Amino acid sequence: MKLNERSVAHYALSDSPADHTGFLRTWGGAGTPPTPSGAGRRCWFVLKGNLLFSFESRESRAPLSLVVLEGCTVELAEAPVSEEFAFAIRFDAPGVRPHLLAADGPAAQEAWVKALSRASFGYMRLVVLELESQLRDARHSLALRRHSSWKAGPGHQKPQAPERPSPGPENGHPISKDCQPEDLVEERGSRPAGRGLAEWQGPAGLFLGRRQSPSLPETSYFSMLHNWYGQEILELRQRWLQRAWASRPERKNRDGH
Amino acid sequence: MRYNEKELQALSRQPAELAAELGMRGPKKGSVLKRRLVKLVVNFLFYFRTDEAEPVGALLLERCRISQEEPSGFSICFMEDPERKYHFECCSEEQCQEWMGALRRASYEFMRRSLIFYRNEIQKMTGKDPLEQFGISEEARFQLGGLKA
Repeated sequence: MKLNERSVAHYALSDSPADHTGFLRTWGGAGTPPTPSGAGRRCWFVLKGNLLFSFESRESRAPLSLVVLEGCTVELAEAPVSEEFAFAIRFDAPGVRPHLLAADGPAAQEAWVKALSRASFGYMRLVVLELESQLRDARHSLALRRHSSWKAGPGHQKPQAPERPSPGPENGHPISKDCQPEDLVEERGSRPAGRGLAEWQGPAGLFLGRRQSPSLPETSYFSMLHNWYGQEILELRQRWLQRAWASRPERKNRDGH
Repeated sequence: MRYNEKELQALSRQPAELAAELGMRGPKKGSVLKRRLVKLVVNFLFYFRTDEAEPVGALLLERCRISQEEPSGFSICFMEDPERKYHFECCSEEQCQEWMGALRRASYEFMRRSLIFYRNEIQKMTGKDPLEQFGISEEARFQLGGLKA
């Protein structure tokens, strides 16, 4: 099966964030017996997203190997011979050989198992969906409070984040009744960016609609929020933020990559 | 670079974000347009001969650029060599836009940037770090800078 290896290697070496790095001993490379023997080979490992790369050394300019961390579980392993701090990456699919690795100490072992267990694309997507949902709630809350404070008269209250009962996909709740599903505009690649999007060249919301697994909530589209609330709300929010933060220390607004 | 084909093959059988039969042309000069079943699974784009169960190949979709190619096609190129383009032909402008949107959002790095953006926004609006309640606010993957390899 072909793979765009040159691009993959480029990604491995690029300055995109590494989620975990360190030396690990590894077994089962090409030309080695399927069962672990000997002390293993000590390599420099780099975890980026759902990809685990190994290098001969920290200075190597080409990765030795790639493990795709999807459909797998990571668990502490029965150490071969007298190897301590070993763990294994086991794949759900039949016939796919597990990877055996060993760290230098218990802290490193625990850190690696934790980092690798959360490396899947699906985990990251769950957290993003959760935050998307929280942001939507926070903005809705703000809009409601703004609206009620106009009705009540002068003197606004500081909005607070709504209580979140529990995390997880089962907490997905339907979008406010004011916005029916038919109103949601599907994110398309060529949609003109809203004013809010112009401030940030990055994400425009995730399209994970129809084909998403039934256990995950229907996501809102970030760009929809801008349409929904409209220019007026954005301006009001600006003014509120200025007032609310006027007395606080300057917050460094860091742009992402 | 060593990798286990079986890992990728297993991944190619997972539920896809998008799948369709498209025309596909490789980056090499003189490549011919071929019908391929193209399947987007997490941050990989797999392509199959229409009657085969195992993919012909896979493209990792990190650090890539998706561009429209008139009239109803798009291309994928990678940062280290933008002249090398993989071309895809769709059956309609609508299908083309759907694919382009999905592919642009398919990278792990895109999700990471989204997350950091949302985290920042929520923190600005509520004064609270939304990840704290889940006990994951210190994870490297959710930080602005991450670890430098």
